[in-house]
Amino acid sequence: MGIIDSILTGLSELFSHKMRSMLTMLGVIFGVAAVIAMVSIGEGGKQTMLEQIRQMGIDVVHIKRGVVAGELMEKAQEKSPFGLKYADAQSISRICTFARGVFPVREVFADVKVGNRPISVKVVGVTSGYEVATRSALEKGRFIKPSDVNGRAAVCVLGDKAKRELFGFEDPLGKTLKIGKRIFKVVGIMSPKELGDSKSFASLRDLNSDVYIPITISVSDFKLFSQQPIPPTFQNALLLLGKSMTVQSLDNSEVSEILVQVANEDATIPTESVIRAVLNRQHKGIRDYEIVIPSELLKQSRETQRIFNIVMAAIASISLLVGGIGIMNIMLATVTQRTREIGVRRCIGATKWDIIRQFMLEALVITCFGGLIGVALGVAGAKAISVYANWRTVVSVQAIIVSFSVSALVGVIFGMYPAIRASSVDPIEALRYS
Amino acid sequence: MPIIEVKDLTKTYRIGSVDVPALKGVSFQIEAGEFVAIMGPSGSGKTTLMNIIGCLDRPTSGKYILDGVDAGKLGDTARAHIRNRKIGFVFQSFNLLPKATAWKNTVLPMMYSNRRKDYRAAKTALESVGLGKRLHHTPMQLSGGEQQRVAIARSLVNDPPIIFGDEPTGNLDSKTGVEIMSIFQRMNDLGKTVIIVTHEPDIAQHAKRLLRFRDGLMESDEPVIDRLIVDQSSR
Repeated sequence: MGIIDSILTGLSELFSHKMRSMLTMLGVIFGVAAVIAMVSIGEGGKQTMLEQIRQMGIDVVHIKRGVVAGELMEKAQEKSPFGLKYADAQSISRICTFARGVFPVREVFADVKVGNRPISVKVVGVTSGYEVATRSALEKGRFIKPSDVNGRAAVCVLGDKAKRELFGFEDPLGKTLKIGKRIFKVVGIMSPKELGDSKSFASLRDLNSDVYIPITISVSDFKLFSQQPIPPTFQNALLLLGKSMTVQSLDNSEVSEILVQVANEDATIPTESVIRAVLNRQHKGIRDYEIVIPSELLKQSRETQRIFNIVMAAIASISLLVGGIGIMNIMLATVTQRTREIGVRRCIGATKWDIIRQFMLEALVITCFGGLIGVALGVAGAKAISVYANWRTVVSVQAIIVSFSVSALVGVIFGMYPAIRASSVDPIEALRYS
Repeated sequence: MPIIEVKDLTKTYRIGSVDVPALKGVSFQIEAGEFVAIMGPSGSGKTTLMNIIGCLDRPTSGKYILDGVDAGKLGDTARAHIRNRKIGFVFQSFNLLPKATAWKNTVLPMMYSNRRKDYRAAKTALESVGLGKRLHHTPMQLSGGEQQRVAIARSLVNDPPIIFGDEPTGNLDSKTGVEIMSIFQRMNDLGKTVIIVTHEPDIAQHAKRLLRFRDGLMESDEPVIDRLIVDQSSR
């Protein structure tokens, strides 16, 4: 029998038992849909993460201010009372001479007002060159200059979103705004910075809503922004009082983050161990900081991705296996039910191979159809997930091709035994069968 | 050269540990263009003989030459090809595919000989048995006589030299049975070798030659006297 006739026969068999075919396909449909949806989520997560790592800069080591809690707190107060501080940045830059730049960052509590309108933006104290380390581009004007830092100039640079919030569509260059109690002049505006997703894995800030000021003025005028609530104990109250009484020196002022930019990705790991050694000495063994290397995060996430993929493959193969068994079961029942038909076909000249091919093709048509529906469902599911759960999903063509081929393979494998059974029906017996 | 030649044919079935002989040595020849009726009570071996000369089964011993080929020794695939191209089968219970239309049923043997280009022959075959207007009816929508005519069209579509009828009128009333026999006679007139198995003497009376079987042996082989010829124009 020709291949066209075989396929047409398979299709007509499929459509003449719609309900049965649908139920038979279900396992394959769910298997394929699950694979595609899950691969899409995984792929989306991977892309988001890659983007964020690219944003953090693959050649930048991040040192974040850490929080010491519990029993260690007292000891920390004694040995390293200022946490991650400006002086740490200086020590690092003294020792890591190979680094391209060391940038202390100080996010502060500050009210920003244009006229009398308060607006919630983030005020960040930085040094010059910070925009290079964060791969941000300047849209207009200039960034914070070394002279601004040294002279504690009351100038600021606005992120794209901050600009729109503060000034709408006006050109703010040269205009002034009020941060805390002081008037700042806008000297530069940043280009919009693409941020992959709101759910960041490494607590990335949205740089677009930043307002940059020289770090020196942030130390003298503002308090460090902290998400950590301070436990309201008597001791802490005393401590805070003490802190506010003493005029803070720049060196001892706490910073939120220090970025260390090095030559390339390979240099990050040796740099990290140098930094660790420096900080360990400076902080007398207190781990009140956290070192993050984007390339390491990348490695970790690749490992996570690998495990995710294995788990997913296992789930998918189980559901496809179950689907395949379902197909085999129905096909075996069909062989019994269609014994007479097989007899007639054999009698008028179908060879065993013709019968095998017919039944295999029927199984294949079922699984391919199921595969197609599964692909559609999976793609739709991925879209639904990205809409409702706000996760990024990326439907990969590769996943579609692979899962579709696997479903076809399931048809071949699980259709084989019923087909052989069908072909071994004795035509004489079959014609007598009723 | 005879189209069918059977020599010392035996067939023994093994049921459990008992050998049951169904054919005990049968010999005859059928020339091309003959119209042969095979009669015999049940257990006479006529069905076994039918299966063997229809290439559905193989003899235990003896020779079966079909159209110059030793068909008794052929393998499964070769016999399938013979069934497809040399023999047209018509059964008592029609054996049509229930969900397929008359046309689809008729086209079936052509599917197994890859004659996609000749599919219009199916329509011609159905027209030749008077079902030109019933192409898209399923067996359920057809009367018994019409179903049997679809089966005849199917048996003719690959233009085989031999037509086998296994009790072709067994499920039909006598009037319809006669109609079917008239088609067989017409096919025979057109040069087909027709062999039918029946236990109705009236039906056998339409053939030209009668073979009688009993207990696995051929009892008699004689020409039909007072042959019934259905008037083709009366149909």
